[in-house]
Amino acid sequence: MTSRGMAWVLYPLTAAIMIFVLAPLVIIMAMSVSGSAFATFPPHGFTLSWYGSVLSDADFRASLGFSALLAACATAGALAFGLPAAFALTRSAVPGREVLRVLLLSPLIFPVLVIGVALLRLLSDWNSNSAPLNLLIGHILVTTPYVVRTVTASLMLADVSLEEAARTLGAGVWRVFRRVTLPQIAPGVAAGTLFAFMVSFDNYPISMWLADAQYVPMPMLIYRQVASVFTPAVPATSTLMILFAFAVVLLMERLTGLRRAMAL
Amino acid sequence: MPATIAQLPVLRLPVGRLLRQPNPAVLTGLALALPAVCYLAVFLLIPAVRLISAGFLTQAANGTLGGPVTLSHFVHFFSTSLYSHVLLVTLRISLLTAMVAAILGYPVAMVMVRAHPVVSRAVTFITIAPLIVSVVVRSYGWQLILGNGPTGLLNWLLLSVGLIQTPLRLLYSETAVVIGSLHVFLPMMVLPLASALGRIDRHLEEAARTLGMPAWRVFHRITLPLSLPGLAVGFTLVFSLTAGSFVTPAMLGGTNAQMLGNLIDQQITAIYDWPFGATIATVLVAIVVSVNLVSMRLLDRGRRVAP
Repeated sequence: MTSRGMAWVLYPLTAAIMIFVLAPLVIIMAMSVSGSAFATFPPHGFTLSWYGSVLSDADFRASLGFSALLAACATAGALAFGLPAAFALTRSAVPGREVLRVLLLSPLIFPVLVIGVALLRLLSDWNSNSAPLNLLIGHILVTTPYVVRTVTASLMLADVSLEEAARTLGAGVWRVFRRVTLPQIAPGVAAGTLFAFMVSFDNYPISMWLADAQYVPMPMLIYRQVASVFTPAVPATSTLMILFAFAVVLLMERLTGLRRAMAL
Repeated sequence: MPATIAQLPVLRLPVGRLLRQPNPAVLTGLALALPAVCYLAVFLLIPAVRLISAGFLTQAANGTLGGPVTLSHFVHFFSTSLYSHVLLVTLRISLLTAMVAAILGYPVAMVMVRAHPVVSRAVTFITIAPLIVSVVVRSYGWQLILGNGPTGLLNWLLLSVGLIQTPLRLLYSETAVVIGSLHVFLPMMVLPLASALGRIDRHLEEAARTLGMPAWRVFHRITLPLSLPGLAVGFTLVFSLTAGSFVTPAMLGGTNAQMLGNLIDQQITAIYDWPFGATIATVLVAIVVSVNLVSMRLLDRGRRVAP
């Protein structure tokens, strides 16, 4: 640490901020095992029954299944578009590379909600009435830049001289990619894939425009349950979302370390 | 991070040269980028242009958009006090969130970069992990904490300690939205700050301290100026993302702290007024783009001044 004096200020401050960051998540988890039907303080009793009712709820299971499938397909799409694009950005002599990079990452700063409205307008003009397909188109759009960002970062860290050596020794382009580049970037690609999956799984501001009554992604289900009058199982549902997210984050941390996975 | 419109250099593609002598490396690059570029063109650029242009069109009674081309929706937006109020609230909440995030971001980023590896990893984990939790879930957590009435966590705590006699009205206010947005976007400030701080040559600070500078002045004269690029990126990200949010103001602000995103939703889902919804969206995009442009201009100038 910088100095004794600084440490006395920094550590308690950071500890307080960490409590601020964790507080809402911990509270949700605590309420999820409260015996009371209302999420009020102080909580009364202990029960796991809310989890039972969530897991047997048909709406929850349908939403979870749909969100997981949507996220998996969106991630596959994001990889299909993002991987080659990341290679173009780092390993080719494409002209106007800076323009290309800005374009590819632009969905990250364009307000997501506006992307959703714009897509709704386009897709309804095209009479594209399938909610799952429309959602997939939107989710690929918002997940691709995350893949581009993490894979680009991995490619920049990978040792190009190894690739050049392999090529000089006579390995073909594909062989160099498979045997030299891929092993180096695999953890980064895996972390980017997980991140893209969660971006889709958590998305609300695209889904709110493109979902219909039949296909309701998880965040929309929770939003509706929170807004509706009496749904005592919301903390349990939310806790399941939190635990799933933390499991994924642990995996990302194992793969590359979190700051690299974020590439920020 | 760097993904900003502002970095867009003037398009100077050497098209002529490219056509005369096609370079295989260039062609491969173009082929690799083409699918993603086409996808973005069809599903982002074209829809965005169509949406923005809808703000200048007139909606017929049957819902179709067409002529005459008009500025009346923009005039309506800026001259109606309700809408200019929402614009003001949006700017105020975004600015406040970005400023508080910068203040809270520094200590966290410092610890992330300079503390013992175990502490640093724990802080990084706690900072980033919530980012992967849906905003809906996190805002719900804040509803439980800030709940009005004696059964909200904070009110219950303050009442039982005896600090207050009657419950505070915390939820459904601008403050609640700032707290929620801060929670959602703090990592976007911490991460760029941490990378900027990580690049600072520690010898500079050590030298200053050896020469007798007190810790706070070392921070003020050396650490802060050298981390400004990270601060600019973080500030831009937090401001832009907060300005474009929907869930946090909807769940924590209610009708008292509506933001532009909520207004867009109302116009399009409830009133079905596409031109006016598009107008508000255009205003929002204009705010985000101009903040990014200004910040990138500043970053660019900083880079040119620095050796």
